[in-house]
Amino acid sequence: MNDLCDVAILGAGPGGYVAALRAAQLGANVALVEKERVGGTCLNVGCIPTKALTTSAELLVKARQADGLGVSIPEAAPNLPSLMAHKQGVVDNLVSGVEQLLRKRQITLVEGEGRLVRPDTVRVTSATGNVVEILARHVILAPGSVTARPPIPGLDLSGVMTSTEALDIAKVPEQLVVVGGGVIGLEFACIYEALGSQVTVLEMMPTLLPGVTDDSLAKRLALILRRRGMVIHTGVTVEVIEPAKSGLRVIFAGAKGKDAVEGERVLVAVGRWPNTDDLGLAEFGVKMNGRAIAVDEHLGTNLPNVWAIGDAVGGMMLAHKAMVDGRVVAENVMGGKRAVDYRSVPSVVFTRPEIASVGLTEAEARARGADGLPQFKVTKFPFSANPRSQILGETEGQIRLVCEVGSGRVLGVHVMGPHATDLIAEGALAVQVGATADDLAWTTHAHPTLPEAMLEAALGFRDATIHFHSKR
Amino acid sequence: MSEILEFTIDKFTFKVPTDRYYHREGVWALAEGDRVRIGLSDFLQQSSGDVAFAEVESEGSDLAFGDEMATIETMKTDIVLPAPVGGTVVEVNPAMESEPEVINRDPYGEGWLAVIEAEDWESDRDRLLDPQAYLARVRELAEEEMKKL
Repeated sequence: MNDLCDVAILGAGPGGYVAALRAAQLGANVALVEKERVGGTCLNVGCIPTKALTTSAELLVKARQADGLGVSIPEAAPNLPSLMAHKQGVVDNLVSGVEQLLRKRQITLVEGEGRLVRPDTVRVTSATGNVVEILARHVILAPGSVTARPPIPGLDLSGVMTSTEALDIAKVPEQLVVVGGGVIGLEFACIYEALGSQVTVLEMMPTLLPGVTDDSLAKRLALILRRRGMVIHTGVTVEVIEPAKSGLRVIFAGAKGKDAVEGERVLVAVGRWPNTDDLGLAEFGVKMNGRAIAVDEHLGTNLPNVWAIGDAVGGMMLAHKAMVDGRVVAENVMGGKRAVDYRSVPSVVFTRPEIASVGLTEAEARARGADGLPQFKVTKFPFSANPRSQILGETEGQIRLVCEVGSGRVLGVHVMGPHATDLIAEGALAVQVGATADDLAWTTHAHPTLPEAMLEAALGFRDATIHFHSKR
Repeated sequence: MSEILEFTIDKFTFKVPTDRYYHREGVWALAEGDRVRIGLSDFLQQSSGDVAFAEVESEGSDLAFGDEMATIETMKTDIVLPAPVGGTVVEVNPAMESEPEVINRDPYGEGWLAVIEAEDWESDRDRLLDPQAYLARVRELAEEEMKKL
């Protein structure tokens, strides 16, 4: 294929395929390059398969608690082969859905490894060694990210897993040690805990989920997990992983000195790095921010007509953020001038209970206040006082709103509790449109539902919470 | 533990040990040399309900007398506790991170919240209630509560 196309996109993850679909919608002739299956990390080895496992794990936990809701389920146990089959079925369905959309929009999917050989040309080498060059008016780099590999001796030992391997197991380990108390580590910790593993989490920072949510929710989550029997060490650095009787031994150091924990398996989940190594970027002087591709607010790189999106540009490595990038860049490639707006990008964590956040945390609001910006007020409402939570038997958690003093404008929303990842949509809308606590409080929320907790938290801005009494 | 005063009303009994001083909001302060151990009084823990979460100002924080020192969430309510002595937090009970319900079980012992390196314990102590005075306050508050029932 040496024809000139309008847009060549490197990578068919959530950023790349959305950019392709949107650009095609706007009339572009698009070539989309992908070395594996479309859908990227998210669809194949990330968000989607983990959530399939999370859902099965939750069902298992629910089944075991069913007696409390008056339903007798005598024996609830995981069936790993069918669990894996369910997960793979969901992934396969969604992948073929994306493929179908790409076909319908007449996007040319080019299979192979892509590399920039000129600022307007992508060379694609297929698995069989075939080489094609795609000449394009615009090139969008959407190569995604790869699992970060920290410099810990012992990572190559058998039994040490990345998240990709942790998705596909034939046996539930007796003990699992999770290195990394971020989103990925904790989601797997909760999955394996439900399946029956004794889980230990080791996190370097002083709290879990650093940079993901409000510290106060992260601390509450740590307490909930500990009460369930999970062992959590924060503020510790892993020094080495070595073979041991039970499988592996992880040696770590913290303020209280050295300690060790043994486990049948070790999951290393310390984050992800932009996948920018073998794309030919350095040869053309593409400006970088460390491993990330530097972009302006329109997602353009320093080279004309070369754009970059998603995990590869750093910042929040989230599929939904990449999808927004994809839509923004497609419009800009087609002559638009849309700037990215990340104010309402939510972070979601599918732990038990779930956590979701959007906008400023309390600490961020406090830091901004120092610059002379408006002060803020935090209001909260516990799910234990929400009728629907009681009906569900899931009363742990709370909603916290960070609002600007005076105007009541919602600056941040932080939710821990049942369906937090769904509930955050209202918070994201509030932050995006600049809604006030009064707007939320005077929007009638159906009864009895979980979102009523959002209304009650908003009422707190005027100390008018109805269904909770706060003693001060 | 030294002598313990008690006040009983209806089916409730509230204990007030005599070895320490009390902030009128229900926080006890027990001098241990230059350091002062701090916790919730029996009356406060009983009247607040089962502790769900406790957040104490972290080690190294400097507090003045009366500053917010901890937030306790119970199934019924949230309470913000004032520091009964000014100084630096030098220790936070690690049990708060794994089983804060120990506050309900043993408010004067294992349920302690923090240890503060006091700046001027002597003068702060004068602003606190002695056990007899706190017992009288408990009586007053408890009788008020009973009237609401």
